[in-house]
Amino acid sequence: MAEDGEEKLLATVQHIVQTLGSSDTMTEDILRVFSNYDGRLSLDKLYAARAAAASAAGGGGGGLGGGGEHSMPESPTLPLPPPPAAAVPPPVTSMERTVRTLDRQISQFVAMDRLIWADSADADAFLEAVDDLIGTVQELEAAGTNRGLFDRAEELLSRCMARLEEEFRALIERPDDAAPAAPGGFRSDGSDDEEEFGGGDGYGDEPIPIAKPVTDYDVVIDALSPGSVANVHQIARRMVDAGFGRECAEVYAAARRGFVDESVARLGVRPRTAEEVHASSWEELEFDIARWIPAFNMVFRILIPSERRLCDRVFDGLAPFGDLAFIAAVRTQALQLISFGDAISSSSRAPERLFRVVDMYEAVRDLLPDLDPVFADPYSAALRAEVTAVCNTLGSSIKGIFMELENLIRRDPARVAAQGGGIHPITRYVMNYLRAACGSRQTLEEVMEGDFGAVGGAAAAVDPDRPTSSLAVHIAWIMDVLHKNLDIKSKIYRDPSLACVFLMNNGKYIIQKVNDSELGVLLGDEWIKQMTNRVRRWSMDYQRVTWGKVTTVLQTGGPGVGGLPATAMKQKLRMFNTYFQEIYEVQSEWVIADEQLRVDVRAAVAEAVMPVYTALISRLKSSPEARHDLYIKYTPEDVEACIQHLFEGAAK
Amino acid sequence: MPVTEHQGSSSSPSTFSFGRSLLSLRRDHVAMPSGEEADLEAFQRHFAASLGELLPGEVEGGGGGGGGGGGGGGEEILSVAWIRRLLESFILCQEEFRVFVAQARRRGALPAAGEKLVVEFHERAVKALDVCNAARDGVDQVRRWERLADIAASVLLAPGEIHEGQLRRARKALSDLSVLLVDDTAASGSGGVASFLASHRNRSFGRARASPSRASLAGATSSSHFRSLSWSVSRAWSASRQLQAIGAGLAAPRAHEAGLAAPVYAMGCVLHLVAWALVAAVPCPDRSTALQAHHLPAAPARAAFPWAPPLLTLQERLAEEGKRKDRRNSCGLLKEIHVLEKSTQKLTDAIDAAPIPLFGDREADVREAAAELAAVCAAMRDGLEPLERQVREVFHRIVRSRVEGLDSSMHNAD
Repeated sequence: MAEDGEEKLLATVQHIVQTLGSSDTMTEDILRVFSNYDGRLSLDKLYAARAAAASAAGGGGGGLGGGGEHSMPESPTLPLPPPPAAAVPPPVTSMERTVRTLDRQISQFVAMDRLIWADSADADAFLEAVDDLIGTVQELEAAGTNRGLFDRAEELLSRCMARLEEEFRALIERPDDAAPAAPGGFRSDGSDDEEEFGGGDGYGDEPIPIAKPVTDYDVVIDALSPGSVANVHQIARRMVDAGFGRECAEVYAAARRGFVDESVARLGVRPRTAEEVHASSWEELEFDIARWIPAFNMVFRILIPSERRLCDRVFDGLAPFGDLAFIAAVRTQALQLISFGDAISSSSRAPERLFRVVDMYEAVRDLLPDLDPVFADPYSAALRAEVTAVCNTLGSSIKGIFMELENLIRRDPARVAAQGGGIHPITRYVMNYLRAACGSRQTLEEVMEGDFGAVGGAAAAVDPDRPTSSLAVHIAWIMDVLHKNLDIKSKIYRDPSLACVFLMNNGKYIIQKVNDSELGVLLGDEWIKQMTNRVRRWSMDYQRVTWGKVTTVLQTGGPGVGGLPATAMKQKLRMFNTYFQEIYEVQSEWVIADEQLRVDVRAAVAEAVMPVYTALISRLKSSPEARHDLYIKYTPEDVEACIQHLFEGAAK
Repeated sequence: MPVTEHQGSSSSPSTFSFGRSLLSLRRDHVAMPSGEEADLEAFQRHFAASLGELLPGEVEGGGGGGGGGGGGGGEEILSVAWIRRLLESFILCQEEFRVFVAQARRRGALPAAGEKLVVEFHERAVKALDVCNAARDGVDQVRRWERLADIAASVLLAPGEIHEGQLRRARKALSDLSVLLVDDTAASGSGGVASFLASHRNRSFGRARASPSRASLAGATSSSHFRSLSWSVSRAWSASRQLQAIGAGLAAPRAHEAGLAAPVYAMGCVLHLVAWALVAAVPCPDRSTALQAHHLPAAPARAAFPWAPPLLTLQERLAEEGKRKDRRNSCGLLKEIHVLEKSTQKLTDAIDAAPIPLFGDREADVREAAAELAAVCAAMRDGLEPLERQVREVFHRIVRSRVEGLDSSMHNAD
């Protein structure tokens, strides 16, 4: 005993179903829409009615197909509850007609088995319908009179949005599936760099990619063709208009993340935990760093800005959603690259790491100013802060490594002396290290000042080239530490003369290295003068300690003739012979590495010895008593020659 | 509470006799420079006080909501606020430790053995860096859950009657969320909730996905759509192994071990506790193994150190939380995650049970569940970002203490 009104409604629905339903799925959808929007129409009832209609139509062509796929409820006519009196359908307003038409159109699209955007006409039609629907929903909401219709339209809208979301994702992930697919997807324009670095999947033996000049990073990858971007933007706009902006941002990020992940993977940087980094050998890490720097530049200078641009285009005018989507898409990979910097910073501070860490620091520092436009929005602030933080951390790490050099010197044990008083390996190491470090003195000064990644790279250039700069002060301090260490080392020579030679040698080497590099600028003339004085003093010490007693022996007293008896003179000569032979035997094996210094020292020796010796010999020769059985072991020429053979080293 | 009391009065007999006995023992070995014993005592006292403040009140944290009361600031254990305080305490302890070491050095009281201990601690601390990174990712992941959950909640809380469109939208968001939860639970290496949710998803969200267009259109399943988090730590990384590494070789010093042995041990214990709590709280790879195995460090004897009782109580409480039935298969022990999971579930059930149009009790159910979910989402929005920042802070502190050469004078041998 169904009520009249309901029967009428059912009939109307049936009619619509029959005229529109070209396929089972669509009819089912339509049925569901109807059953949803109006509680009085249960799915069961409609199915039943449809089954009845179908059987009535018999084999008659035009109607519904068999419907066998849908499990038709058997129950024919359910006892229908009497509808409330108010349930008499309101007169069909134009608004209702609009919704109904839209429903019809949209349901067709929503049920579509392929990408709607595979056909641009379909896409346009669908968008138009969605626009109409959004407009209608807004109107209905504003009017606030027809709640039922509003709900129905909203329900339809939610289905549109679910479908749009899928289209959106498909268009982003597989832009080629879309119809007009303007030529040129990813890599078509200007992304050869990606190719170059991307070859590295095999990881093993291909050459390490070399970082290119920064200008080469001035490239944008267009992952989507302008056509695709336009399509995707169209969808995003609808989703945001309909209040589905958050969903849109989420799905965008989910869709882009895959691309970002893969791009980074193709750069050949493996994710490394801090623990792995700490356990790795320095050779491995150097290799990783060599990959990391270009990868870091690629990601932060090309990939992420490209993502930003894409996102800005897709969400053009759709304010915060683009920012949300962008950061969610790139965050993980960005952080992963950053964390390698942290891991390196926190690992060993062995001095030899300085140069690679400086490279890393400089890569990050140089990037900072360029990040501002990319990470300008508040959602990106945290990531921007992470880049700054890793820059600071690398900076402190450099500082720490530099300090470590100091410790290394201080703790260098004074056990084995350098052969023959020559240049100690630590001196060579430190001086060459510092010379090399001077190549990065701008950066080092920045870091010493604690002035990490100063406001925009070049702008706040600190001048390290003055002896009062932090770097200069620090280097002077290191030199001091080195000096003290050498001083301690010199004490292990039992022969104080050799200690002098050792200090002289090392001092001279230091001066040389300072003079022919920027170290000279940093340490300043005053320092060099001091150091030169020191070397002179050591040289004088040497003269005194080694040759003092020799020349003393040769003193014959005043120039007055006959001051000394011949025997005493002979005695002196014998003593001289012993001393000299001893010294010669030992000191010809010593080393003075520096040619000039060697010449100077020999000259000084000759100057001190020769006149007195020659005088002694000539006096002996001219003395009648002495001439008798005079044995001259060394002619003055011999002595001169021997002196010229001092410090030739054990090799000779 | 009792612990704090025990701490607060350092002159209480037990503490004092402990201090004295330890010190007198030490005196037998090295002449103690004056000041060290005072420093050591102060360090241990502060340390104990920091831990004591973290103790929740004696009331079971349980379902009782926010009311810890008791010993500390009243945050419920494993809530975002509590974890933040835990991290704060750690930072504080580390700072004290730094000062302690610096003073010992200044006094020249740090022999090679002491320096070696400092280095050991740093080696240990550095192992926590990866835990911090994983926890940061985990927190980010939870924020992602929150975003999806909040879509569902706010849709259903819009004024006016709830209609099918809103339900559909909420269902979609919940479905995406459940995919994430399932994936992350799976990544955490747990079985229970994952399989439950997976089957539940099929049951309750099947309808939403019934449209025949889906499968063929998307070409990808929903689970690849909302792919699980990509960790910034490497794939093979395991929280449980990392915790083991952090705790490895952590043994209470013997009574005769002077100087830094006790503080270093204390720092090792608290580091391990913090790392464990982070791993337990938020999703991270291989998390569940970490909870199952007894990875909490070998506990010090209760009486051995003034800070041992609060530490032990904390460990026990955390272990209890991990063992609780309703939490065991969770994606994280974080209180807010638990509430999120529960309210998500509740909302899903309410939606499933809801006829169209919604009316009366059903609608009230849905709205109530949505309101609950919205509340936890709001709490997460407020709490997670600062938490993430604080995890970073801990990370940077560890890095800095290493970079700035806390372990400096003992770096390389010859």
